[in-house]
Amino acid sequence: MGKLFVWDRFFENIPKILPYLSVTFSIVVYATLFGVLLGISIVLVQIKKIPVLVQIVKVYVSFMRGTPMLVQLMLVYYGIPALFDPVFGTNINREWGAVNFAYVTFILNQGAFLSAIFYSAITSISYGQTEAGLSVGLTEFQTFHRIVLPQMVKTAMPPFGSDLVGLFQNSSLVFLIGVTDIMGRAKTIGTATKHVLEAYVFIVLIYIIISLGVRLLFFRLNNKMSFGKEEMG
Amino acid sequence: MNFNLEHFKESLIYGLAYLPNTLSLVFVPLVIGLTFGTVIALVRVYKVPVIGWLMAVFVTVYQGIPIVVALMIYNLIFMLKFNDLAAFLHLKKSISDMNNIWVGIFALSMAAVCSISEAVRGALLSIDKGQNEAGYSVGLTTIQTIRRIIIPQMIPVAIPMLINNVVGLIKASSVVMAIGIVEIVAGATIPSSRTYSFFEGYVAAAVIYWGFTVVVESLAQRLKKYTGKFRRNLYD
Repeated sequence: MGKLFVWDRFFENIPKILPYLSVTFSIVVYATLFGVLLGISIVLVQIKKIPVLVQIVKVYVSFMRGTPMLVQLMLVYYGIPALFDPVFGTNINREWGAVNFAYVTFILNQGAFLSAIFYSAITSISYGQTEAGLSVGLTEFQTFHRIVLPQMVKTAMPPFGSDLVGLFQNSSLVFLIGVTDIMGRAKTIGTATKHVLEAYVFIVLIYIIISLGVRLLFFRLNNKMSFGKEEMG
Repeated sequence: MNFNLEHFKESLIYGLAYLPNTLSLVFVPLVIGLTFGTVIALVRVYKVPVIGWLMAVFVTVYQGIPIVVALMIYNLIFMLKFNDLAAFLHLKKSISDMNNIWVGIFALSMAAVCSISEAVRGALLSIDKGQNEAGYSVGLTTIQTIRRIIIPQMIPVAIPMLINNVVGLIKASSVVMAIGIVEIVAGATIPSSRTYSFFEGYVAAAVIYWGFTVVVESLAQRLKKYTGKFRRNLYD
């Protein structure tokens, strides 16, 4: 068995794990980009109160918020082949890499969570602002773009930041469907060398650094925005 | 579309059979989290020298660690070192006698302590400083002020955030299947490995979790009304 933790092994692991950080980042980037788009469309449906779609969206958001990420990941992983293969005659399990299932899950999940953030940010701005915009002759889009959006971003920023931190952490679940992200790589190192603690400790350090970094970034952004508010007031 | 209703039903029954495991994975960490979380929050808000600072660093850093990763590390250490510890304490138990659900409970408790302490701290900070001063001015000690003035006002503010924490815990409890603890997800997929109907199994698990969180959230709505009734309708 030998010693549990050896610094030599710790440093040996660093170059083995670091390249896989790109997998984690790609999941986060895809999920955020497409999640924002999906979130915006959901909010549009909710605000315009498009019939039928509103109810569907409500159930969808409730489902995404009410079930664990892990279950959603598995549902997509087993569900997409089960639902689409018989209809389109495809063989998705063979054709898709595991990471694609991770992208789909995280985009769907982020769409729901971000829509909740955007929705509460928009509704936090009093309707009088919109009325004021319309009364001076701005179109609906101009009112949103010039009056509501700038105020809304400030409210949405802090929850968006903590959502991003959570997203990085949740992305560590993808090793369960066989995606080799940093966590998956640590496990393979573990099976190959029988020493996995050093790899795990290094991963913990990476996640701590990412989380502190994201928080610091959003703290700075927040300060900048509240500074702008004081100037105006 | 391949969806076998029979397999789905079977999975649903298996999943519900393991609901007690999920409940203990949620409520034990919740109680531990509420106790230690409140203590940590008080220590930080009242700026107890050194300990307050240490707690701030601990909570900030620990919140950066994903639960799965923490869980894997605890499980590894537990597996490798439990026999040594048992021998050291002269316990006549070995690793094979132990249920590793305790590792899951430990990992979830640590996460719960951190997130609940943040929720409680936020609620404590939302209470006006004048309330403390008012308490002192009528001759209450610090402990009395906290117990009789601050905490009763803090509870309605903290409840929405605490409910979020409970829902988060319910969802986080599913990751313990990664170290082989059988809870709802792992339970619901037991029949799947025989029938190869994993999709149905996970749908069953999702339905159980969804029901669980919807119930918790509707209870929370009532609780919020009840605890907030002496406030002037701040949240409705």
